[in-house]
Amino acid sequence: MTTLEAGASTFEARGHATKRAPAAVVRARLTPWAYQAPLLIALVVWVYGPLVFTAVLSVLDWDLTSPDKTFVGVDNYRQLVEEPEFPRALARTGLYVLALLPFATVLPMALAIMLWKRPGKASDRYRSLLFMPVVLAPVATAVTWRFILDPLGGVVNSTFGAVGLPEQDWLGNPDTAIWAISLITASRFVALNILLYGAALAALDRRAFDAARVDGATEWEITRHLVVPQLVGTTALLAFLCAVFAGQWTFTNIAVLTQGGPANSTDNVYYRLYAYAFTFFEAGTGAAAAVLIVVVLTALFGLSTLVRRRRVTS
Amino acid sequence: MSRRDGRSVPDSSVPDGRGPGGGGGAAAVTRHTVLALAAFAMLFPLLWALSGSFKPGTDVYSSSPFPLPGTLENYRYALREFPIGRLLLNTFVTAIGVTALHLVAGVLAAWSFVRFAHRGQGVLLAAVTVALVVPPQTLIIPHFLMITEVGLRDTFVGLVVPQLSHCALAVLLLREHTRSIPPTLIAAASLDGASPFETLRHIVLPLLRPALGAVGIVVFITTWNEYLWPSLAAPSPEHTTIQMGLQLFETSEGPEHGPMLAAAMLATVPVIVAYLLASRRIADAFLQAGLR
Repeated sequence: MTTLEAGASTFEARGHATKRAPAAVVRARLTPWAYQAPLLIALVVWVYGPLVFTAVLSVLDWDLTSPDKTFVGVDNYRQLVEEPEFPRALARTGLYVLALLPFATVLPMALAIMLWKRPGKASDRYRSLLFMPVVLAPVATAVTWRFILDPLGGVVNSTFGAVGLPEQDWLGNPDTAIWAISLITASRFVALNILLYGAALAALDRRAFDAARVDGATEWEITRHLVVPQLVGTTALLAFLCAVFAGQWTFTNIAVLTQGGPANSTDNVYYRLYAYAFTFFEAGTGAAAAVLIVVVLTALFGLSTLVRRRRVTS
Repeated sequence: MSRRDGRSVPDSSVPDGRGPGGGGGAAAVTRHTVLALAAFAMLFPLLWALSGSFKPGTDVYSSSPFPLPGTLENYRYALREFPIGRLLLNTFVTAIGVTALHLVAGVLAAWSFVRFAHRGQGVLLAAVTVALVVPPQTLIIPHFLMITEVGLRDTFVGLVVPQLSHCALAVLLLREHTRSIPPTLIAAASLDGASPFETLRHIVLPLLRPALGAVGIVVFITTWNEYLWPSLAAPSPEHTTIQMGLQLFETSEGPEHGPMLAAAMLATVPVIVAYLLASRRIADAFLQAGLR
């Protein structure tokens, strides 16, 4: 580590040396920002600027194209809260989170533990297969599902028909569509979370489990009482990420397969935002929805950071 | 979300290939059955699309798992009647463009974060981290208005450049990798009189090459799969991407499922090939991305 310190003090020495010439000082101050420039421009122009722009749009009544924009104050927000669509979309976003939660936690945990218990070539192969849904194009998968669930020629209905189960218009029936969309989105969560549980498991010390085994514990007991308790932190994190990403990951499937329908039964807040702006051309209402989403997400992330900090300190 | 977690990678190099306990035949059979069933269930759409894409005509609706006798008719039809080739090229160019922008911005910023302890760095880092959690859907309205305003709607520039809004991930991943370069190496270059840029070019970049590859592949795949932004920014077939093109098969005369499945396969194969070539590294990169 002495060389490291020497290196650090060399940086400082150079910094002091430059202080003698003002032009060089300015240059030294500006150099880091020159490297940061592309990132800074990207953030200002494409993230934070647009967020401010969205906030401004949210108090206007505007159809995206015409020259007249009217200032309407909080009317757009009032519309979101008072009309039934947005609160319902919010509730459905919660329903998606609940439907996807087992696919984000229990199922990938069980599969990851199975893979971890017997490391080797076979497990590696399963691992790469099970991860694939993460890289597959969501639209290609969605249009394939439309074909699979086709009410007339789809393989699900022809199989159901063959064994005497009731055939359904899975994506066209308000009672089944939201579950169909959830199930279609589920494989992505399972796939990614197997990997994340795998990382948590790889950090565990196998010797503790070997000791328990020598003491006569069964595999099930070891899993239940020694392994699973150590995955609680990971599970909490993945449940939180599921709450945040369920809405975003169902978006593509909703946009491609149901456009929020039938009878708004598959709508969520992200699709609602999109529909306000690009189906109904109410830029202000869409922007107000975006602002609400960002505020809620920021609060969620802030809360989770606080909780994690308290867990670390206490 | 901690940095240390990000480093740990599913460990399969444990020498003890037999693994602990049990070992009984019945247990192994159960295990393989469960895992194989899980893999089959998760990849079922892919397998069904693959099989269906080779079934001729209305055979596409048959429940037979194997397309016998198989035909390339759907592929020929999709490529002849729809601009699939063009769309694939568009998607490739777009993905390469976005990846290049992300890597350039990412490397320069990462190097600045690690090499200079300048004022305002903490704020900037916080701004990057917050940008990571802003959902892309909440930015589409302003992005759409901005590119329309400057006349870049339905151009490659308008399609590619706003996707810099997702660059936070590349920046943070590359910063982690740059930080793991031994400081003594950087200090030594500095002592030898190398400028920060020379150090970046001759010392840091060569060491970052594997990380650039992994991050680049993740950005490439994400951009290749992107749907929402291309649908708004570049709706015309001259500029749009293959994900948008898959919607073309919902024609007024009803869906053309066979050719659609063929096109879906063509949209998927490049990503699968990229994945199979470097599945371990891609999984690792996603792992680090997912833990953030």
